[in-house]
Amino acid sequence: MPFSEAVRLALTSLRSSKLRSFLTVLGILIGVSSVIAVVAIIDGLDSYIASRVLELGSKSFSVQKMPDIITSANQWIEMQRRKDVTMDDVEAVRRGCDLCTEVGAMVATSRDVKYGRVRQNDVRIMGVSENFSRIGSIRDLIAGRQLIGEDVENARNSVVIGADLMDAFFGTMEPIGREITIDSRSFRVVGVAERKGSIFGESQDNFVWMPITLFRKYYGSRRSIVIQVEARSMNVFEEAQDQARVVMRVRRHLDYAEPDDFNIETGESILDLWKSATQGIYAATLLVTAISLVVGGVVVMNIMLVSVTERTAEIGVRKALGAKRRDILRQFLVEAVILAGFGGVLGVLGAMAFAAGLSSLLGGMMATEFVAPVRLWAVALAVAVSSAVGLVAGLYPASRAAALDPVAALRAE
Amino acid sequence: MSAEPVAAPAGPLILAEDLWRTYVMGAEEIHALRGVSFAIQPNEYVAIMGPSGSGKSTLMNLIGCLDTPSKGDYVLRGKNVSKMNDDELAEVRNREIGFVFQTFNLLPRASALQNVELPLVYAGIPKEERVARAKRSLEMVDLAARMSHKPNELSGGQRQRVAIARALVMGPSILLADEPTGNLDTTTGNEIMGLFERLQREGNTIILVTHERDIAEHAHRIIFIRDGKIESDERR
Ligand SMILES: Nc1ncnc2c1ncn2[C@@H]1O[C@H](COP(=O)(O)OP(=O)(O)OP(=O)(O)O)[C@@H](O)[C@H]1O
Ligand SMILES: [Mg+2]
Repeated sequence: MPFSEAVRLALTSLRSSKLRSFLTVLGILIGVSSVIAVVAIIDGLDSYIASRVLELGSKSFSVQKMPDIITSANQWIEMQRRKDVTMDDVEAVRRGCDLCTEVGAMVATSRDVKYGRVRQNDVRIMGVSENFSRIGSIRDLIAGRQLIGEDVENARNSVVIGADLMDAFFGTMEPIGREITIDSRSFRVVGVAERKGSIFGESQDNFVWMPITLFRKYYGSRRSIVIQVEARSMNVFEEAQDQARVVMRVRRHLDYAEPDDFNIETGESILDLWKSATQGIYAATLLVTAISLVVGGVVVMNIMLVSVTERTAEIGVRKALGAKRRDILRQFLVEAVILAGFGGVLGVLGAMAFAAGLSSLLGGMMATEFVAPVRLWAVALAVAVSSAVGLVAGLYPASRAAALDPVAALRAE
Repeated sequence: MSAEPVAAPAGPLILAEDLWRTYVMGAEEIHALRGVSFAIQPNEYVAIMGPSGSGKSTLMNLIGCLDTPSKGDYVLRGKNVSKMNDDELAEVRNREIGFVFQTFNLLPRASALQNVELPLVYAGIPKEERVARAKRSLEMVDLAARMSHKPNELSGGQRQRVAIARALVMGPSILLADEPTGNLDTTTGNEIMGLFERLQREGNTIILVTHERDIAEHAHRIIFIRDGKIESDERR
């Protein structure tokens, strides 16, 4: 019997008992979706952290509504009650911190960007103050000009793009003066930033900078702002942070005893926390996955044994008509693999829904957009592993079916 | 001497010599067949009769290559089947035997056409040819109009005709029927027996197991079994 025939047969058989098939694969579904979801979340967090680390150079820090890494649900709820950081706060820090050489503002979101028919997905759209490129790690340009004071003051339609967009849209063409489209609005390219490569496998060149005034016009002025600060030197780094802290505390009328209701983040503080957190998460996920795959395999094996018993007469008929051992073996193995693989596919869909839900939930609440991307390799691995589970779980029931004596099998009914 | 290759082995279609079939149940041995010998020529129409427990089904399983004798030789079209392994037997069943069962034994989820296709699937015949041959076979039993019906959408007589179409589709040497009318009313049963007669006239060899005298009367030869032995073998 050809393989395609076995697949067709297995699908018919699984279709005829949909609910049972679904319940059978539940364990595998849970295992697979938890792996993919966790990989997606950590991936998303990785890129989030990476972008934060990059923005903060060695003598720069940021003042923001929430910390970059939140370690508990309670903390997260607590953070929601905080006041947004406003443009007035930026102005106050600028005036009140004399150890700071630059005080800038940044807001960000994530959008698809188009040039003609070409689309670049999940581009970081940043609304920035004029001095943004001079804070933290310096970004030089490879073409055109930086955003200038007039751009920001007049909310002028001018943007600087990252090297990824340059590659995707223009190649060797002249980029300056061309119009790109974000949310069906046109933006004029005035500069292209130099390439920074990727951190944690996340590209650092997939962005658009626009004047913060323009950003707030299009994407709302009610988002909490990240204040970007450059200290005069490494020696006064801590003092500069304290100055900024005092300004913020005074503006918020905080008592001596009260804790800060905002966060000051530096590159180092983020990285340390992050490294220790992810290891634990990965280990826990691996364990959950292993357990649910084993459970899933046992359930698949059990249901296949039931199926073989229920279909003993059918096996007898098939053997009487000329089915060989390997035909029967293949029929049940393919069925087990498809059953488990189907669990894998459902798991992938579940994980996608989960990741999308999480992205939009968290995205709206963080200073920068949070995206949990479902990785192709994670999907392929999940489906491959679950199919392998089906193969192993199906082997015993299938060989039992193949070994049935045709006379005895025909008598069953 | 002729230079031409030998087309078909000369001699009978079936040659059974001293067939024994012994079931071992714990310490006990049950001899379901005790030395049965007979020969069947191509295009014969034979009924095997006998009381319950006499060994009819056991003999039928041997003739159908579903089982092998404990002792003795069973030669089908010149090939000794007695010592074959499972997969070789499966192939012989696929090519040489067309089974018709008392309970029809159609696959409930498959259409009539798909049921008839089944032996062709295991013979490795490609889809297109399979469908064409299965349709032709259904036409032979006048069921072409019902080919997309599932078994539970067919009457008992129609189901048995689908089973006969399935049995014929590979062009087997023997049509082997075990109580084919056992689950049918008299009228429908007679229809099926009429179909068998026609198929025999068209050149098929038919072996029928039954305990009903009326049904056996349709055959041209009746082998009567009792206690695992042939009691009589009459041609009519
Ligand atoms: N698998 C088996 N194990 C043990 N004994 C068996 C087995 N199959 C058949 N027998 C015995 O062999 C004898 C012949 O059985 P068989 O089924 O061939 O009879 P039969 O002529 O077909 O009867 P019926 O008309 O009731 O179908 C019986 O005594 C039966 O109990
Ligand atoms: Mg019987």
